[in-house]
Amino acid sequence: MFRFTVEEAVRRGTLIFYFIVATIILILLTLGISHPTNEPDMVTLFGNPLARLSQQGLNVVEFLLIQLHSLSIFWIIIFGMFGVAGLIPSMLEKGTIDLFLSKPLTRAELLMARALGAVSGIAINLLYFFLGVWLIFGLKVGVWHWAFLSSVIYVIYAFVCFFSVVTIVGLITRSAGFSIMLAFVFSIVSWGLEVRENGLYRLWDNVVYHRLLDALYYLTPQLNAMLGNSTRVIGKLPFIPNTPDFTFMPFIYSFFSTSLLYLLSVWYFSRRDF
Amino acid sequence: MEAIQTQNLTKHYRSGLFKRKNIPALEKVSLSVEQGEIFGLLGPNGAGKTTFVKLILSIVHPTSGTATILDFPLGKRELKEYCGYLPENHRYPGFLTAENTLVFFGRLNGLPETNLKEKAHALLETVGLKDWAKVKTKKFSKGMLQRLGLAQSLINDPKILFLDEPTDGVDPIGRKEIRDLLLSLKARGTTIFLNSHLLSELEMVCDRVAILNKGKVVRLGTIAELTTQKLAYVLQLSSPVTKEIREQLQQTILPIEYNNTSLVVSLHDKSELNRIIDILRAGGIGIESMNQQKTSLEDYFIQIMKGENGQ
Repeated sequence: MFRFTVEEAVRRGTLIFYFIVATIILILLTLGISHPTNEPDMVTLFGNPLARLSQQGLNVVEFLLIQLHSLSIFWIIIFGMFGVAGLIPSMLEKGTIDLFLSKPLTRAELLMARALGAVSGIAINLLYFFLGVWLIFGLKVGVWHWAFLSSVIYVIYAFVCFFSVVTIVGLITRSAGFSIMLAFVFSIVSWGLEVRENGLYRLWDNVVYHRLLDALYYLTPQLNAMLGNSTRVIGKLPFIPNTPDFTFMPFIYSFFSTSLLYLLSVWYFSRRDF
Repeated sequence: MEAIQTQNLTKHYRSGLFKRKNIPALEKVSLSVEQGEIFGLLGPNGAGKTTFVKLILSIVHPTSGTATILDFPLGKRELKEYCGYLPENHRYPGFLTAENTLVFFGRLNGLPETNLKEKAHALLETVGLKDWAKVKTKKFSKGMLQRLGLAQSLINDPKILFLDEPTDGVDPIGRKEIRDLLLSLKARGTTIFLNSHLLSELEMVCDRVAILNKGKVVRLGTIAELTTQKLAYVLQLSSPVTKEIREQLQQTILPIEYNNTSLVVSLHDKSELNRIIDILRAGGIGIESMNQQKTSLEDYFIQIMKGENGQ
């Protein structure tokens, strides 16, 4: 089921599109980025000097890697969702689910294999992109930025957490459209909850309401916080003041909320008639 | 030995806002299916036929009642290793070829990789899709998908085969091939549970049938038991019945149908048959043969349904 889901995700086309776009970016980087040997602290992009590494305390390589990292996050949320959000509802279609449930698999195995397959489709794409960028910077600029390479693990982890929301929504609504829509709503809500003290708290000055927002923040995967932290693994941009330090806390909280959501999904799937 | 045994198997669906509306789908169904027999389940749309199969395969959960399948209780995962299932309106991933579809479902059944492709090819040959092994299923017609579905249901050499409308969309030659396949599976000891609207086909292959209406079993028996009208006889005569003899026969007050040299008579009592024979022979009409009248399963089914629905 795992292999089948990955194949189905690829056949849907969105992941292939993502793969093609990632390849184009990698080719452009390969062709465009260079490190003149006579000026060891200079990085050029298609011959244009970007900045001197030592100037204004800005590390150009890190700056570029952070931008590429942010781009990949944007892509997984936009296209990753389109690529795999429909995989849970498509499994539940009449005529398909009957066949799957008649096989000697538990419902938990079936659902988890499906979710794992969907997440793997995205993970393969992300690994390809991050590994490609890492190799290009290593080979062409001479910077083997291990922190950048390791940040992909955090991004994949964040996507696994994100997909727990997609899974339960897909199970309840059985609709790919709803799953995609609610996944986007969740990504916005996650951002709203992350900055609730400066935003949602101000809508209503009520302790119960504030505690409710807090509960929601801790009971759902902290997508925004995780993705933000995954960027901080690479480095901090000096022109963005008050950037907090990297912390594992959102990953730990999200582990519990994600586990809860997957458990609820399995429970719901196991009880449901098809 | 029973392959399937159910006791008071009941399923009520809940629907509507807050799931407050109760929809009974099956009501206390108690059935037993012997190993190696072909058992047919008939019924109008919404009678509960598919729900029954889905309960057995744990695709839906029972509201109450119990069942054992090959001595396994309902819901036991191991049970499904011995079952094959062809659902109605089944869908296969269009991006897979016929061969890969069977390999995929073979893997889901936990079959070892060795010989899985060979097995898939052998099954595709059995269902007449040998030349289509490498073609993606999205190019298949309905009849071809039905054949593929049948092959899929056989990939694990099931001891019990559940088929929901197996000949749906299949041409007459294909239907005959499927019937022959079912009979050969039966000869090998496979128990076959068949849901179908095509009563004439059920009549040709089933050992026993149950008629389901509004979730309840209303009739159960062998085809012969259900289609033989015990007190109706067909008499083949040596010559047509003359007007005089017809008048004498009408005095018996028995319902009689005339058809040139044959005569169908419905009796209240077997002794009445002698009176009819006496009248005919006295009139010089010889009796060439005499058989109990049989109705088709379809006629019987319609008759039962009319009775059940008070028409």
